[in-house]
Amino acid sequence: MDQVYVLGLLVVFAGVLIGFYALMRERDDLHRILLTDLAEILALALIALVATDLAEALILPGLVVGISELLAVSEVYLAKEDLRTPPTAPPFRIEVMESAPGIMALILVAYGIILSGFTGGAVAAVGAIFYFLCRGQNEQFAIIETVSGYAWVFWIGAFFIFMLLPAYWFFAVMIAGGAILVKVMAKMSLIGTMRGGEHV
Amino acid sequence: MSMAMSPEFLLGCAVLLIGITGTAFPRPRSYVSRLISLEIPAFGLLLIMLSFDETLALLTFIAVTAIATFVLVRVIERRGSV
Repeated sequence: MDQVYVLGLLVVFAGVLIGFYALMRERDDLHRILLTDLAEILALALIALVATDLAEALILPGLVVGISELLAVSEVYLAKEDLRTPPTAPPFRIEVMESAPGIMALILVAYGIILSGFTGGAVAAVGAIFYFLCRGQNEQFAIIETVSGYAWVFWIGAFFIFMLLPAYWFFAVMIAGGAILVKVMAKMSLIGTMRGGEHV
Repeated sequence: MSMAMSPEFLLGCAVLLIGITGTAFPRPRSYVSRLISLEIPAFGLLLIMLSFDETLALLTFIAVTAIATFVLVRVIERRGSV
């Protein structure tokens, strides 16, 4: 093991000690959620220290799982504290919260398409979920489900190409990558609409 | 893999530690100040990723952190107290 890895491990473990000490002493639930986000950063730093392609392969799903978990935990918190209805006069008004969702969702979906595959689908879906959460929705979900079904068929078709026409493997990889992207995205977008109603 | 310690790595470690301490014990002890402090360890992690050339992880982390901040701000807004 080289010096870089040892130093990095020391720093991260010192951070873990500080973070968990703070988490242990905290009594307020929302403060705890914020500290959970801190713990996630530490976990990612631990993985990043591996410093190979393996680290990247582990960080990407870790990020996606982390954001899904944060979305879920924050919804649970809002339900538990009976804060489902938006306040009539928010304590502070942030302009970006109203104008950004569309732009950020667009960037995430575009980046997800470039990444492709499972992670790409998940990143694009985070964009879609986020948009639905901020804006409310009235889309036709039957159509999204149909698209998702066709994507699944394309995915299976790509595997038939792998087996029967191995010479066209690159074509099959492209089909499979694109199809799983659409599939994961369609399924995960439903999360953003679970709560129903407008201006969720 | 870089065997020698790069300045990015050392700076990243320092920023990470400072940020963690700041987020663990924020002053004043309010939601917003803790949320803002959270950006500091995130920046440290970005520097560490930069020193190891983890491009995809870095870009995705930026995207996901932006969303996470939005989700948390939304909860703090609903909660009503800053």
